[in-house]
Amino acid sequence: MKKMSKLSAVYLIVVFFILYAPIFYLIFYSFNSGGTMYQFEGFTFDWYKELFKDSRLLIIVLNTIIIALLSAAISTIIGVAGALAIAYSRKRRVKNTLLSLNNVLIVSPDVIIGASFLILFTMIGIKLGLISVLLSHIAFCVPIVVIMVLPKIEEMSPTMMFAALDLGASRWDVLSKVVLPYITPGIFAGFFMALTYSLDDFAVTFFVTGNGFTTLSVEIYSLARRGVSLNINALSTILFIFTMILVIGYYYIAKRNRPNGMGDRR
Amino acid sequence: MKDNIIIRFEHVTKQYDNDPPVLNDVCFEIERGKFYTLLGPSGCGKTTILRLIAGFIGPSQGNIYFNGKIINHVPANKRQVNTVFQDYALFPHLNVFENVAFGLRIKKLKNAEITEKVKEALRFVNLKGYENREISEMSGGQRQRVAIVRAIVNEPEVLLLDEPLSALDLKLRTEMQYELRELQRRLGITFIFVTHDQEEALAMSDEIFVLNNGKIEQSGTPTDIYDEPINRFVANFIGESNIVSGKMIKDYVVEFAGKTFDCVDKGFNPNETVEIVIRPEDLEITPKDQGKLQVRIDSQLFRGVHYEIICYDQDGNEWLVHSTRKVKVGDEIGLHFDPEAIHVMRLGETEEEFDKRLENY
Repeated sequence: MKKMSKLSAVYLIVVFFILYAPIFYLIFYSFNSGGTMYQFEGFTFDWYKELFKDSRLLIIVLNTIIIALLSAAISTIIGVAGALAIAYSRKRRVKNTLLSLNNVLIVSPDVIIGASFLILFTMIGIKLGLISVLLSHIAFCVPIVVIMVLPKIEEMSPTMMFAALDLGASRWDVLSKVVLPYITPGIFAGFFMALTYSLDDFAVTFFVTGNGFTTLSVEIYSLARRGVSLNINALSTILFIFTMILVIGYYYIAKRNRPNGMGDRR
Repeated sequence: MKDNIIIRFEHVTKQYDNDPPVLNDVCFEIERGKFYTLLGPSGCGKTTILRLIAGFIGPSQGNIYFNGKIINHVPANKRQVNTVFQDYALFPHLNVFENVAFGLRIKKLKNAEITEKVKEALRFVNLKGYENREISEMSGGQRQRVAIVRAIVNEPEVLLLDEPLSALDLKLRTEMQYELRELQRRLGITFIFVTHDQEEALAMSDEIFVLNNGKIEQSGTPTDIYDEPINRFVANFIGESNIVSGKMIKDYVVEFAGKTFDCVDKGFNPNETVEIVIRPEDLEITPKDQGKLQVRIDSQLFRGVHYEIICYDQDGNEWLVHSTRKVKVGDEIGLHFDPEAIHVMRLGETEEEFDKRLENY
């Protein structure tokens, strides 16, 4: 038993090292004053300073954040409504079909989603840019929100809704005073998941973005194509740290399953 | 119609799709201010009756009256009844105060009034000072009380309780039985209590409805039902019974186990085949030659309060005896019982016929 756990510990360390090493390698060289990725000459913030001087880049960061917040917010609203519809659909067949359709969207490759959106937008004549990126981000975030919210709804005891009705609550009261507060942790989890998915999406965005509008991941890709510059490292580092913050935020909310202080809400 | 009738079921049937009916042509009346118990095995329809009264479901046929008005189509949130659920169904995202205040807030009472009522109600069940507790911090018994307060703070005319004690341990359950009974007396409102536990029903109720297969088998006070069960099902379900078949020779004389005995029942046809009920605690162990019946002891089980002894007579009838005295397995003993201990049941008798016959005594 003891031996096994040692072995598994080593295995885990190796796996995580392989997974994280490239990222930390990249982060490490973003502080290199030498300008190459194989010889560390000295510590510098120059690459970051250069990034922040570049107003075009700042606009891209802003675009990325706006897209992420908007698409997360809108897909959370749509996703919660969808999850409620799936959870309370009377017929088992309808429920299973809806759930399968939802899950297919999660597992289908981004490239296919991106390409199909490109075809759709050009066909119905939506100009490629902020709107097209926003719409496609909402589209791939909704299934994620549904998946995050659904278990919380299903865990809710149905007698709780009977209890609310019994105490005189209307259907709207049941939804707003019992169901929604109860599933709030799930809603937050869904929102944060959608935020991270939108923030670091490359494939879909790459297809549907047009001239003059781009997000960070697409920008990093085009910088990397142009040639090696430690700018990319700095930018990637910022993106990585930002995503980490979101993940930590997500875990913090997920852990607080039953938030206090909700009782004062009406 | 009488004034003190608050709920009346008139030929109510509840059926889902083409399944056999959950409730089959049920009629009964509930009087104001009494403690009623719906008792029966699981699947007998007792919870269905409760849900029909609460308004979560509607009847397939028949009418339900509340204060003399048909309420078949009145939705649950417009009825003057409140329910205590089996799993309590408290809102985990609200604290104790807000759980209790839920119904009052829906009614849009003023904040000061809500605070006063909730505090008063919590004091009523000894939960003063628990206002700001989260539900997860409360014990099972405390949650139970919160669930009750949440219901009664709305001042319902009828309180429905759906097996509210089944999740508690034995000691707490006994305590809560006393508390509930006391609470009902102090509030003076009608309680309708659903349970499958016959001891609970006997201990708490003014009136018991025994249900089986979607029908009311018998209704009456606990002593009526215990002492005069209408048929084999009721006799078996309420307490433990020895049921043997016999013959009514004439009034006050019955024959079973190959002997004739004096009894207190009459009104049967001469030589009518009947079933005899004798409760195990009414059987007294005597030396073999002094008993009315001679039996051989087959097994003995210690139950704490008494020994549970199983014996057989020479006809092979099983006799269950509760005795505080220990006996030896394999011994032959006598059993003594009073004429009053014999209860005679007519086969296939309906409750109306049964009541009529009893009135003639």
